[in-house]
Amino acid sequence: MSFVVGAGLLAVVTAVACALPGMFVVLRRDSMLVDAMSHAVLPGIVVGYLITHDLRSPVLVIGAAVAGLLVVLGSEHLARTGLLTGDAPQGLVFPALFSIGVVLVSTRATNVHLDTHAVLVGDLNLAAFEHLSVSGVSIGPRYLYVMLAVLLLVVVFLAATWPRLVASTFDAPHATLLGLRAPTLGTALMFLVAVTVTAGFHAAGAVLVVALVVVPGATALLLARSVSGMLVWTVVVAVAGAVAGFVVAYLTDAPTSAAMAVLYGAVFAVVLAVVRGRGRRQGGARGRLRALVATGHD
Amino acid sequence: MTEAACRVSGLSVVYRTDAVLVDVDLTVPVGAVMGVVGPNGAGKSTLVKAMLGLVRPLTGTVEFFGRSLGEVRARVGYVPQSSAIEADFPITVHDAVLTGTYGELGWWGRPRRAEHHRADQALDRVGLVELGRRPIGELSGGQRQRVLLARALVQDPALFVLDEPFQGVDAHSQRAIADVLEELRSDGRTVLAVHHDLATVQEHCDHVTLLNRHVIASGPRAEVFTRDAVRTTYGAATSDEFGGLPA
Amino acid sequence: MTVLDLFTDHTYRTVIAGTSLVGLVAGAWGVFAYLRKQSLISDVVAHAALPGTLVAFLVAVGLGLDGRAMPALVVGAVVSGVLAVAATHAIIRCSRVRADAAMAVVLTTFFGAGMLLLRHITDGPYPGKGGIQGYLFGDASTLTLADLRAILVVCGAALLVLVLCFKEISHRAFDAEHSAIGGRDGRLVDAVTFATIAVATVIGIKAVGLVLMVAFVITPPAAARQWTRSVRSMTVLSATFGAMSSGIGAALSIVWALPTGPVVVLVLFVILVVSLVAAPRRSIVVRALARRRARRALRESLVAA
Repeated sequence: MSFVVGAGLLAVVTAVACALPGMFVVLRRDSMLVDAMSHAVLPGIVVGYLITHDLRSPVLVIGAAVAGLLVVLGSEHLARTGLLTGDAPQGLVFPALFSIGVVLVSTRATNVHLDTHAVLVGDLNLAAFEHLSVSGVSIGPRYLYVMLAVLLLVVVFLAATWPRLVASTFDAPHATLLGLRAPTLGTALMFLVAVTVTAGFHAAGAVLVVALVVVPGATALLLARSVSGMLVWTVVVAVAGAVAGFVVAYLTDAPTSAAMAVLYGAVFAVVLAVVRGRGRRQGGARGRLRALVATGHD
Repeated sequence: MTEAACRVSGLSVVYRTDAVLVDVDLTVPVGAVMGVVGPNGAGKSTLVKAMLGLVRPLTGTVEFFGRSLGEVRARVGYVPQSSAIEADFPITVHDAVLTGTYGELGWWGRPRRAEHHRADQALDRVGLVELGRRPIGELSGGQRQRVLLARALVQDPALFVLDEPFQGVDAHSQRAIADVLEELRSDGRTVLAVHHDLATVQEHCDHVTLLNRHVIASGPRAEVFTRDAVRTTYGAATSDEFGGLPA
Repeated sequence: MTVLDLFTDHTYRTVIAGTSLVGLVAGAWGVFAYLRKQSLISDVVAHAALPGTLVAFLVAVGLGLDGRAMPALVVGAVVSGVLAVAATHAIIRCSRVRADAAMAVVLTTFFGAGMLLLRHITDGPYPGKGGIQGYLFGDASTLTLADLRAILVVCGAALLVLVLCFKEISHRAFDAEHSAIGGRDGRLVDAVTFATIAVATVIGIKAVGLVLMVAFVITPPAAARQWTRSVRSMTVLSATFGAMSSGIGAALSIVWALPTGPVVVLVLFVILVVSLVAAPRRSIVVRALARRRARRALRESLVAA
């Protein structure tokens, strides 16, 4: 497999793997928690490295995902104390964890190739650099198979939990009452997001992986009338944005994840403008009026 | 005593340092339409949430049909206030109602033709079958309340628990909801509903619980809905408004 | 190095003074982001400032000026920071996408654009491009006297706006509708509020970096809220917390030879934890004890009855 095809496939697979759980993050209004999570990945990886002294050890991924989940649970706990209002709880934990990561890197791991800039920005081409080969024939980047495994995990999770995930996200107390264990499911979802963020951040970096998780879901929310419709739009936006971003980055020799984030933003803006324009013509109020007429409302 | 659809005994709930409910005892006989009334802050919604395990009580037990809630989930239907759900959520009316069947599906079960048909029937009962394919965001508050009622109907429970079903609901939807409640009564279903309006209780309920942190009185309407009991519940200031009640 | 060096050495003094000023203003204006329940907007502003600073760099270099001079940096950062706030609020206003997702979309789009520009600059033949990557994490030791002067002017202006408009912005934060009924133009008050929050956020980028600025804006008000009951005292205490921890953090970072931003953030976090645990009326510990007492009292009264 050529390098370009491998890197392009990696971009698409990473985008879809991040976007799928991301649509539920958008529905749960936890988008900025992903930002918090992705920053907490740094100390997780550093601590994992200090334990294993191996930058490729799977312990690093687990450490990072656990750190991500720690931010989620810590923020939820802070919010539950009732001492803080608004979105402040989500912004208090992650800078501290990120700072611990930076301090650890600059004191304990100075000799490691663990560049904080790369952590923030990521490098898709670097991630796609190492190819796997079977009897001398390249079968694509090694990291592509890591992301495919993550994508498989995501798809299995969503397939297994779809009805209860939809019901729990729509109305958590009611789902709990039906015996669907909404809180446990929520935690499982956020752990899955932590895993995808950890895996995705090698390719996209801590900040831009947030775009991969949130923007397709947010764009789909503008278009969809049902959760399954939202799923379809999420995948469409993720694939289209990833392909377009990769091509633009390739042609202009720009960083792939940054180009993807900008194109995602552009897609969101265009869809918002189109939906707004259509909404103006038809009118949200008129839709409501039609609903009233249909029931013979007085 | 006849079998109770729901029996609450010694239920107390503390929120931070405030005792929201103190030693609540309550029995809803099978087939009763019980109204829970009390002033703002009396703990009516908390009572419902604690009964359904959505708020953890400090003391007390709740039984449904002589068993714990976990054993009889399918027989208990819950209708929250329409403001409790997200109006912007991308879900159609039909799909929202369909979630009422998810409790019985199990991990790998998916809704099939039978479930979809039941959802349509439930929507028909609340008069919204034509709107099944609309997103809930296009509905009025009263119509959304009817969707939540349909979601409980589709579950076909023996006991319906409703939290302020007429709150912020237009007259047309109010009538539609009242009609369904009347059907449920004649069908022998048990209904427990929180109301803030005493007139509603007069009109729709055969049993009443007067609540203000603790139970003032609970039982058949004729026995408990007296002027004195209402005065105790609401305080003296409002008593004149209820002059029509027996002393 | 002795402790005295921290106050006599010219470089150290600049670092400590500059960081403290940044902490002071971010702490004071952070109160209003906190009260408006949009603390994380500061994270959006900080990240969105990147493309602005880089465009300003390119423009300045094009004009033959120093691209990394503080005034250019601040102007660029404020313009793109304010644009990002406006975009976020526009998305919230005219779609069903809520604040959290709107912030994430705007933050990543602007930051992505910033990374593209950064690559363009580092690959290009621009004079003075070295160290421009430092905006991500900041480096207080690079603060010059001219930078300090620029920070002083900007901070003074931000504090002046705060004093002049205190009544309007705190009224609107408390009760937006009532403020509008009172004849205040809400959009104007919002524009002033969030524009100044943007200014207070971006002024710290050179010293502590855009990644960690969010902590300077969120943490001091969250800690100050635990000790105070009025907006006025909360603002004063939050500014004090911000200035104090920035000063202490900067000094510690010099002593331990660590990056400034992370050390300040950790000091701020310690202050937050202490506030949550020890503030007399709202302490987690005191509340837990009171809750347990109330529960026990109720249980006992039930048994007695």
